[in-house]
Amino acid sequence: MDKPAAGLDEVRQDLGRFPAPVAEEFEKAHPLMKEALNEAQTIAWAESGIEIAEQTVRSWEAAAQFYRTSPKVVGFMPYNYFSKWTECGSDLCKESPTLATAFFDASPGAMSKLRSRHIESWSRLGLSLYKGTWKSSTLSCKFFASSPALLETLTFPELERFVGFLDSLSHRSYDLSSECLTLGQELFPLIGEDRGAFISLASTLVETGWREVKSFFEAGSKALPKIDAGQRLRFLQLAEQLVKNGGTNIPTVMLEISQSMSRLDSDSHASIMTYAEALLEVSPAAVPEFIKGCPLVLDRITMTQLERWYEEGVRILKQNSEGGLAYFKIESSHSEEILEALSSGVEFARVKVVMEMYCRGLAGEQVKLASTEELVSKNIGWVSNESPSTEGSTVFVPLIVDRYPTKDENFAWFKVVSTHQVAHLEFGSFLFEFDEPATLFKNLRGQLEKDKVKPVQTPQELPDVDATSLEQGWVTDMQRFFNLFDDRKLSLDIFTVIEDGRLDARVKLEYPGIKRSYTRIQTDSLGERPEIQSLPAREAMVEFLVRLSLQQYKGIPAPQRYVTEAKKIARIAKRVLRSMATVEDVAEATLRIYAVIAQIPNEEIPPEDWEDLDVGEDEEEYADPEDMEQLLQQLAQGMEMQLRPEGEDEYDSSEEVEYRGDFKPELVQLLTRLRMQPQDQAGEAAGEPITQEMLEELLKNSAELDLQAVEGEIQQTSGQFANNLLKEAGVNLPDSPEFGQGPLVHVDEDGGSLDPTEPQTFVYDEWDFRAEDYKPRWCIVRQKTMAEGDQAYYNTTLHNYGSLVDKVRRQFEMMVPEMFRKVRKLEDGDDIDIDDLIEAIVDMRTGASPSDKFYWRRNKVQRDVAVAFLLDTSASTAEAIDEAKRAPDDWDAPDDPVEYMVWLRTRRGEAMRRSYKRIIDVEKEAIVLIINALESIGDVYGIYGFSGYGRENVEFYTIKELDEAMSDRVKRRIDRVAPLHATRMGPAIRHATSKLERQDARTKLLFLISDGRPQDRGYSREGVEKEYAVHDTRMALEEARRKDIESFCLTVDKNGHDYLKTMCQDIGYEVLDDIYALPERLLYLYRRLTM
Amino acid sequence: MSSSTQTLYRSYIIEEYHLKEEPYYVPIGDEVELFEAAYHQKIPVLFKGPTGCGKTKFIEYMSYRLGRPLTKILGKTNTRKAPDSDSQSLPLITIACHEDLTASDLVGRYLLEGNNTVWIDGPLSRAVKAGGICYLDEIVEARKDTTVLIHPLTDHRRMLPVEKRGELLEAADGFLLVLSYNPGYQSALKDLKHSTRQRFVAMEFGYPPRDIEAEIVQHESGVDAGTSLQLAKLGEKVRNLREHGLGEGASTRLLIYAGQLITQGIAPRRACQVAINWAVTDDASVQSSIGELISSIFE
Repeated sequence: MDKPAAGLDEVRQDLGRFPAPVAEEFEKAHPLMKEALNEAQTIAWAESGIEIAEQTVRSWEAAAQFYRTSPKVVGFMPYNYFSKWTECGSDLCKESPTLATAFFDASPGAMSKLRSRHIESWSRLGLSLYKGTWKSSTLSCKFFASSPALLETLTFPELERFVGFLDSLSHRSYDLSSECLTLGQELFPLIGEDRGAFISLASTLVETGWREVKSFFEAGSKALPKIDAGQRLRFLQLAEQLVKNGGTNIPTVMLEISQSMSRLDSDSHASIMTYAEALLEVSPAAVPEFIKGCPLVLDRITMTQLERWYEEGVRILKQNSEGGLAYFKIESSHSEEILEALSSGVEFARVKVVMEMYCRGLAGEQVKLASTEELVSKNIGWVSNESPSTEGSTVFVPLIVDRYPTKDENFAWFKVVSTHQVAHLEFGSFLFEFDEPATLFKNLRGQLEKDKVKPVQTPQELPDVDATSLEQGWVTDMQRFFNLFDDRKLSLDIFTVIEDGRLDARVKLEYPGIKRSYTRIQTDSLGERPEIQSLPAREAMVEFLVRLSLQQYKGIPAPQRYVTEAKKIARIAKRVLRSMATVEDVAEATLRIYAVIAQIPNEEIPPEDWEDLDVGEDEEEYADPEDMEQLLQQLAQGMEMQLRPEGEDEYDSSEEVEYRGDFKPELVQLLTRLRMQPQDQAGEAAGEPITQEMLEELLKNSAELDLQAVEGEIQQTSGQFANNLLKEAGVNLPDSPEFGQGPLVHVDEDGGSLDPTEPQTFVYDEWDFRAEDYKPRWCIVRQKTMAEGDQAYYNTTLHNYGSLVDKVRRQFEMMVPEMFRKVRKLEDGDDIDIDDLIEAIVDMRTGASPSDKFYWRRNKVQRDVAVAFLLDTSASTAEAIDEAKRAPDDWDAPDDPVEYMVWLRTRRGEAMRRSYKRIIDVEKEAIVLIINALESIGDVYGIYGFSGYGRENVEFYTIKELDEAMSDRVKRRIDRVAPLHATRMGPAIRHATSKLERQDARTKLLFLISDGRPQDRGYSREGVEKEYAVHDTRMALEEARRKDIESFCLTVDKNGHDYLKTMCQDIGYEVLDDIYALPERLLYLYRRLTM
Repeated sequence: MSSSTQTLYRSYIIEEYHLKEEPYYVPIGDEVELFEAAYHQKIPVLFKGPTGCGKTKFIEYMSYRLGRPLTKILGKTNTRKAPDSDSQSLPLITIACHEDLTASDLVGRYLLEGNNTVWIDGPLSRAVKAGGICYLDEIVEARKDTTVLIHPLTDHRRMLPVEKRGELLEAADGFLLVLSYNPGYQSALKDLKHSTRQRFVAMEFGYPPRDIEAEIVQHESGVDAGTSLQLAKLGEKVRNLREHGLGEGASTRLLIYAGQLITQGIAPRRACQVAINWAVTDDASVQSSIGELISSIFE
């Protein structure tokens, strides 16, 4: 045991060899160290100090420092690391005592943040900076000195990278490196999470322009705080990309960009970054300009419009980089124009809700409003993205209106356009009936049809399919009318112009409020008409008619040669344009005008042979000419065609009047007829169902499609249109042509009734509306308890809805007073009940023994409500919400490859502004909120999800049973609610009904939350079967009602009105326009229903 | 009650209130014949229909129309002779139902008067005695135990039991019970019990067609024919929006209000805005849609 003591003495002796401070420090530290270490360790410690001191002449200083700091360091780590630390210091000392001193000096501070295992690496980092020179030694020392501060914010790997950066920078300049070290200490706390990216950017900068590094550090500390915290990383990465792409003066650019960003709402930073990143691919130089321009641009337009602004810029950039740069700098007049147009433009998306309701109000039907893009992408014959139109049930309008300099004018245009399209529906353009008499003219249609010689000239004009069956069922009245004319195109042009004109006149009569804007737009349209004199004669006559329909009655040029004809046309046209004419009147007028125009050769008229006509004062009433009979005869024989000269110009349809858009009466009637088909089938078999061949044949005749068909491809194109049309109409196409002639029937599922053999399976009947009877024991419901997930979901959701949760609780608690009822005839209570008191006194006076119970009190009466929530967890609820808006029925989109591509493209286009919240997420959130609310009022409630595949697999998930108490397990189950398969609503409703039936609450409610129509294999597909599912569901709801269970359907499917009307009839339902409103709306409805 | 001070108000004993002038009513279908038939056969009637479509007006009209000679007890505060005792209308007793409407509220109760108690008949008893039409408005609002009270009155018995007095009141000949109810309310708790509703014949009321509605609006508000037609058109369009956030369409009553404002010189658009648009909805987007409809129809 002597040895240790002797050791210490030896140490003391050895210390005497060095300058006094060494021994002094030792003596100071020794007592402290003895406490921390055992004797042998203490000796070892003392000896290490001596070793250090012995190394070089100056190393005694390091040794003194070693002794001084040891007591402070030893507490931070176990002994083996302590000796490691000593070793590191000693190694450093071999290289440079100064370094070692600095190392020891910084240790106490650094150790508190550094993991023990990093000690060695840390010392090596310092060493790596030391290159044997005086400057490098200073840098290295400074590194050690700053380490405690740096480790405050950087993790060790980040510190390593930072040192790597300092090292590479020091190859260029030690001073700069040292300054960056200092700046880094201030900067890193500011950047937060994105230090890694920052360091990486800094390292990149060293390679490309090391001189800028310092200003980069300075800029960084100023720029980053201005950027939304979540976007800083992207900002830095963007800056790095700019550097890599050869950008110069990056620090300044960063400062400028951040300056601009700071002027914007931080919510928008993310999207701007997205644009910027995309722009990087096109032109890095434009990125800073784009961002710098943003505040100015966004002052005037919205984020959605920014996309258009951006896209236009990219387009220009691709053509001409200089021009693109100027555009983004807003230094080109084009960018000014775009901005001007965008800022005053009316966006479809913004006015959709209001205008759709407006249209529904006008038409009194479930009219939908959609953008023309959607119509075009259906590829059923409409091709123009710009032209408003309607296909019978939906009004299509352009995505954006920016024709006029002010918003009001643009909106007025939008409104006029919508009104005009709705007028087609409201005033019956598509209700044309061939046999319906006209009101203003003598009916000549029937006569003409009779006289019409069957065209037997050329075989290809004869339909090769069974023509009679076509005529029986599928030739629409409109088509029958156009069949009267040999020049279909001309007749169609005349008809549409007059019909549009009639509607204009009618709208102006019915809606005086819109008259002013209407007239203005008509006048503007007149200004845009082509020069009439430049047209060949027949086209000029049609143009003449267009002018008339736009209410130009004065100074319309007409060829001198045909002045009589023009006047005649005017007289016929004015008759329909000025009064309450019907579509049949228009048809008669068309016939008469056609008879005049068709004979006029389509020849150029020399400029001097024109004359301006005034038709306004021409009050002469139109009367059929005496030779009308003869004229008809001529028409019937196709004489008008023979009269035309050989070499005349080919006839071109007149230019479309923009606000009137695309009007395709024939196609719409056909489409409407096709849509009716499923219903016809449901009743009695109404004629042969249509096949694709027949439809193609029908379409071939139509002038409406010929206009667009590319030459030589007519066959194929009309085939495609036909296919798409059928799809659009919801008609199930047979897969192969062999079955083409067979009638479409509901594809019955095979097999008979099912038996539930496993536990927790239940069997239910299903309603077949065609048979008007139940299919017995048809569906098996498999009941499962939802698996448990994370409870945090429930709490997070409540947290996220913070303010709403409070509000809802308050609202639900307010329901409580309404549940207090006055309870009378009590011995004690709030107040005397005057009736009972009087009774008591009366009794007293009459000598009977009075009752002393004449107090009343408000008592809580048990609310007696049991409710089951049925949650649709079908696959479609996985749709991200923005997409769901676009493709509400994903069932039909992806089948066809062509359509699929369109669908995919729109998806990609949207990817940039897509929100990733799915329908199911909102459903889950709604459930969380309703649970929270229901707990506060104590109603009995159950929550179930349903999905499944096929009738033998209806999955029914219990999230909370009706008689189960709310628990953490329920919370955990909610987390696991996820989209599954299909939606077979009927059995799920029946199962929930059976659960509710067992409750003996006074009020029982079934709340169905869905995202679309019911569909499942063999339950609903396109066409006929859609109806099957809807009817079964309706019957299931009806059964519930018979069992005294009230149902309510809440759907987020915007097209819900179509089928919900059938499905719910007099059962309550609601269609949510805004899915995000679901939670709030659910709560509201629940309160209203149970109050 | 006769005194030298002149009363500044008019009040009537409930069953003695008679309409003096023929109420304005334009029949839409065969409702007048139906009601007359029911009345003569003493079958109680249930009116269904949205608010402001003319249910109350109809019952007033019918009570006038069915009026028959009846000794009129002169008004309490009014010693004048009835102007023309031949053209009397049936007494019409309207009771607005509410949640706390109790049986005694309908049948009657004892009141303390000095040291005595006095029996006061409730409005239903009065109607039963006087043989008038008793019109229970918005019956679903009443408590269910109250509605049961009317059962004996509505079948062949035509009796009203008055428990407190221990008597059974037999309904006078002219007595008829009429209920009104608006099925538009979606509350699960407020529906008519089947045992109640199956004691009535039901007549459904809807808003009148455009032409008739225009005529009504014109008559009631005094606007010109053109404007009233526009108002009726607007009403029709707004009603198209039911199921789109509008619980009920614009009622004829509201159209009349708008018309009345217009006759007072308010600009049509503004009148429609306050009387129709803002009255039917609080939803901003529905409001702007209706706003667009208004601005299309009115200049």
